Amino acid sequence: MEALQGISWGIIAPILVIQLILLIIALIDLSKINQTNGPKWLWAIIVILGSIWGPVLYFVIGRKQS
Amino acid sequence: MRDLLVLFQKEWRENTRNYKILWIPLIFVFFGITEPVTNHYLPQILEAVGNIPEDAMFPFPEFTAAQILMSTMGQYQFIGMLVLVLGFMGTISRERKNGTGTLLYVRPISFFSYFLSKWKVVSIIAIGSVWLGLLTSWYYTELLFGNVPASDFFAFAGTYSVWILFVVTVVLAASAWLPTGGAAGVSLALVLVIQIIDSLLGTYWTISPWKISTYATQWLTGSPTMGDFWWSMAVTIIAIIALMIFGTWMSKRNASKTKV
Amino acid sequence: MTLILQAEHLTKIYGAEHAVKDVSFSLAEKSSTALIGPNGAGKTTTLSMLAGLLNQTTGTISLNGETNPDVRKSIGFLPQYPQFFSWLTALEFTEMAAKLSGMDSKHAKIEAQKTLEFVGLGEALKKKTGTFSGGMKQRLGLAQAIVHKPKLLLLDEPVSALDPVGRREVMDLLKNLQQDMTILYSTHILNDAEEMTDQLLFLRKGELVEQGSLGDVRAKYDSPRYLVEFTSEEDALNFAARAPWKVSYRGTLGLIDITNGLPEMKDLLGYLAGSGLTVRKAERQTASLEEIFLKVAGRR
Repeated sequence: MEALQGISWGIIAPILVIQLILLIIALIDLSKINQTNGPKWLWAIIVILGSIWGPVLYFVIGRKQS
Repeated sequence: MRDLLVLFQKEWRENTRNYKILWIPLIFVFFGITEPVTNHYLPQILEAVGNIPEDAMFPFPEFTAAQILMSTMGQYQFIGMLVLVLGFMGTISRERKNGTGTLLYVRPISFFSYFLSKWKVVSIIAIGSVWLGLLTSWYYTELLFGNVPASDFFAFAGTYSVWILFVVTVVLAASAWLPTGGAAGVSLALVLVIQIIDSLLGTYWTISPWKISTYATQWLTGSPTMGDFWWSMAVTIIAIIALMIFGTWMSKRNASKTKV
Repeated sequence: MTLILQAEHLTKIYGAEHAVKDVSFSLAEKSSTALIGPNGAGKTTTLSMLAGLLNQTTGTISLNGETNPDVRKSIGFLPQYPQFFSWLTALEFTEMAAKLSGMDSKHAKIEAQKTLEFVGLGEALKKKTGTFSGGMKQRLGLAQAIVHKPKLLLLDEPVSALDPVGRREVMDLLKNLQQDMTILYSTHILNDAEEMTDQLLFLRKGELVEQGSLGDVRAKYDSPRYLVEFTSEEDALNFAARAPWKVSYRGTLGLIDITNGLPEMKDLLGYLAGSGLTVRKAERQTASLEEIFLKVAGRR
């Protein structure tokens, strides 16, 4: 990991913050929504493990809109 | 036109409460940051991740600041377009399918206001997201690669915004015309597939909405050919207006298909 | 009697199928009309045309004497299964509905609140409609249909999705509204139609097979009868055998129908008094709408 020491964490931090915000919004929405396309627990896993794409997939496909 | 205001408010509330107002800008900002950052740290990242033998190390090309902004736009041209199409493909068709449109259509609304209210909200989100993303990318580029003059940047982002408006209008008109699945198909074909065709065969013509993004990037390294640029802008704006008329007409015609 | 709406020769064809076939009727101001018919008779299609959602294939609709007008300015419409934007609250939705029908913001808010209280959703004003039960949705549907005080109220099966208590309440609300509005509603529950109606329209396979006031229709299809109940089967038998009218009896309960050659009530009572039979009950019966409906439906 020595090679990564040259990376300034101040620059990387916003990327992680955005991922975290997306994760939190998706989880909040998932907990409030009545129905999802497919089981909720599966979406929870996708959102948590899917890095940036988990929340995006959830918002685009998982959310049952009305 | 008072119905426009009321419908706009409804649409705004919808996109606030389904979090599109948050997650779509965040995606664009995300790629606005990662593009310069990964390009800058690519050697370190590769070294840390891979067991690349010393002699296999190839020299990394030094990117210019302008190239980084172009590559951010390149991400938007695929992932960004996908997000816009998939995020907004159901804007009108869904209201017919699930029957929520019925209680709007039986009221004395003008279908132009109906279409326009959606167009405005989606455009604000899309343009807002793209600008936030590009501004972030510009800032990171400055930090990691070097300066892109403000005038170049604004000409670039401004030109690209016209393409984004075109995409938004295509998606909404398709949603007014077809069921959600069909709307997604048509939008993706018009936005992504034709984009590829245009880049492959496009040397034969210079005026088309699909050239706008190329002309946008040319502002970063110089300037596009003025005649071609302005004609493409004009054609795109006319296409946007035509698609809005088509979308209004289709919203009205398809209102009878709403679930009662 | 002012006519508010006239439908003439309304026809809706889908492909080869006549969903509605040559239907003509008119609605008097502040009257209530029940559109009755089995499922698939064309009730919803008819209402959708009147609401301006569907264009008729042929025929005309006149509203206040104006032919084929923009009906949307004058109506309130409640679909059979109203769908709401789940992310709006009941108050927000009703307020939006009022504004879209031309009410200014200040009045829209006040009226929306009043209307929601009127339909019994006073407690749920700030709840998201996505959390509503079927009965609450039906009430909200009614609220959005009346909030702008339309002249004509079109309701598709307004009570059939409700439980008995809810049905009772909504019927009472509708009766209340009838003082200010013309109401046209469809139903396949005939008790409801019987309760509130100036005019009946019977639809069957897209055709209007009978229309008129409840009294007229009843007079046409009614076969009045007397029903006499005795305490014993023996008395019932005796009555059937000896009475001067044609009498049939059925069951062990001692129920007697006098179907032919109907006497006056007083003659019947006079006979029964002198017969020495023990009578528990004697009544004149009129056909229920249900029976009329079966007759109309089976006529062709």
